[in-house]
Amino acid sequence: MNLPSLDVSLDLILYTGAFGLIVIGAAGIVLARHLFRVILALAIAEAGANLLLVLSGYRWDAIAPILMGSESTAPMVDPVPQAMVLTAIVIGVGVQALAVGLAMQVKKTYGTLDMSAIRQRLEADIAGNAGIATTGSQDAPLGERPLPPVDAVPATPGSSTP
Amino acid sequence: MNQIVLIVVLPLLAAFLVPIVARMSETLGAALGPLVMGVCLWITGTVAIESAGNAFAINIGGFLPPLGITFFVDRLALLFAFLTALLVLLLWPFQGEHRPREHALTLILAAASGGLALSGDLFNIYVFYELVSVASFGLVATGNRSAAPAVRYLILSGFGSVLALVGIALVYTQTGTLNLAHLSQLAPTQLINPIGLAAFALILLGVGVKAELFPVNTWVPEVYATAPNRVSALLAGLVSKLAALVILRLLVLVFAQEQALLVMLLLGLLGVITGELAAWRAQDMNRMLAYSSIGQLGMVFVAFSIPGETGVFAGLAIALHHLVVKPALFLLAARWGGALSGLAGAARGSLSGALLFTLFALSLVGVPPLPGFWAKLLLVMGLAEQVGPLYHFALAGILIATVVEANYLFRIVATLFRRDNPASPAPEKHSGSDIATAGIFGAGLIAAVLLLIPLSQSLKTIAQQTSDADAYRAVVTLVPTPTAPNWRPAAISGDTP
Repeated sequence: MNLPSLDVSLDLILYTGAFGLIVIGAAGIVLARHLFRVILALAIAEAGANLLLVLSGYRWDAIAPILMGSESTAPMVDPVPQAMVLTAIVIGVGVQALAVGLAMQVKKTYGTLDMSAIRQRLEADIAGNAGIATTGSQDAPLGERPLPPVDAVPATPGSSTP
Repeated sequence: MNQIVLIVVLPLLAAFLVPIVARMSETLGAALGPLVMGVCLWITGTVAIESAGNAFAINIGGFLPPLGITFFVDRLALLFAFLTALLVLLLWPFQGEHRPREHALTLILAAASGGLALSGDLFNIYVFYELVSVASFGLVATGNRSAAPAVRYLILSGFGSVLALVGIALVYTQTGTLNLAHLSQLAPTQLINPIGLAAFALILLGVGVKAELFPVNTWVPEVYATAPNRVSALLAGLVSKLAALVILRLLVLVFAQEQALLVMLLLGLLGVITGELAAWRAQDMNRMLAYSSIGQLGMVFVAFSIPGETGVFAGLAIALHHLVVKPALFLLAARWGGALSGLAGAARGSLSGALLFTLFALSLVGVPPLPGFWAKLLLVMGLAEQVGPLYHFALAGILIATVVEANYLFRIVATLFRRDNPASPAPEKHSGSDIATAGIFGAGLIAAVLLLIPLSQSLKTIAQQTSDADAYRAVVTLVPTPTAPNWRPAAISGDTP
């Protein structure tokens, strides 16, 4: 991989890629409607952050930071970011597993994984428990508007169960 | 004094022992957690007496910084370690249904909180922060129907962690170190620039998720409305303050630049205004308390954005006051969590609860003899001393927010003591443990009034010690590393081989 003439552009591509992954993840978290896709978007953003951390200590002309006992004087890649990325990956896996577990709970409670439907039901749930009307816009039409039953949630492309 | 490390080690060890011990003997399993937290409390107390207020550093495993991991122990760290153990003990979830699991998660939360208070290494802080996050997701999800808020909280918090990690990566590309003392040495030359500011903004937003900072606090109302009240009390009282503590340390040591302060001032002020207005509009007790907590944390950030010791002093005073008041209010809301209109005449059912609520409400608004007044006075005077329209704008914002706060809190107090509707059934009485714990917090508040002068003196000393970055650097012995001063990875400086 030691191509001196390409180094700068390769670095540029990698850095752009890392930030691009984070942006894709952020967009996914904001835009996706299906809870599982949101969790995947979070995983993508984490991958971007990890890549950025690896890049922060990487050198193209260096060897892996492992002491083999021989007196090698070749420069080594900075091992600290790599250790940190390992930690971050492990944490990320744990959090994602927890997220999927909670998503199963959500599916059991509300019968849907559609983010906006979950949010609506959550609002109604909290208001119902507290014994108050659901807070909404003042321009909303008056009168009771019961939420559609669980089965009648309109199927959107993203809301089919995985 | 090295035994202070045990406040991280012991709860972590006990957390994984609790499920096993509980299987063998239920009483032993239930007693293990509180016992360990009691030991932590005792250890912190003895270390505080032994060190006599002098800061010291512990190098884990004997590796010297910047290569090893440092625990930095000063008055502020000890104070928060002590408060962590105390609050976890007071808010121990002994009523839950899934007891061993809740005990284990609470112990993990306590261990990681202690680690956050002590850690002197940026990446170590990140790891402890994640540990706090995961434990709090688990605790939130123990609620009856709180899986949905827990998962929404998890996604926001997870993305916050990604942002914080990017900020840490930026700091590392600039300096090549993550030790706070080493960073503060290198910061004037390598981090007081736009990249440093970007790193600060990213870490602020990332850690700010737990600290209920303005744009990343959407999880707060729904989580506090659905989670068990003791968990809400822990999150609002303890975890948010620890996140604010991390930001304070970073601000004092690493990102001491004017723009960083302005960013914090703006976000904090927006938090105060939005939080208090939303609380004014809230119709149920739990969410009212959640929004009011956003407002109070916003005030802490506004205070921290005042440069120098004044800001640290005011911020710590508000944070500590909130740390005493808000958990107690959440305990009272355990039975009063429903609609505010349903509380009419609740004082008939539980007079002590209503009187305690009135006491906390008065202190939260800032009625003179109570500690809340002195904390707000420090903030207002600190802001008035500053030059610059933004600080004076913030001053006006805080005073207006106080009026709003007074309006909604006194409205509730008036509702509690209403007499004119005997028809509606009075709400349930508080459980004995809740009212007793809230009473302890209330007694603490009254004691703070009586001991105001010594308390404010010691808080001032803490603020002095905290805002002194030179002293911090002097305590942590750094091994000179050959590449440290002008370290740059090849990718950034462009020195291709």
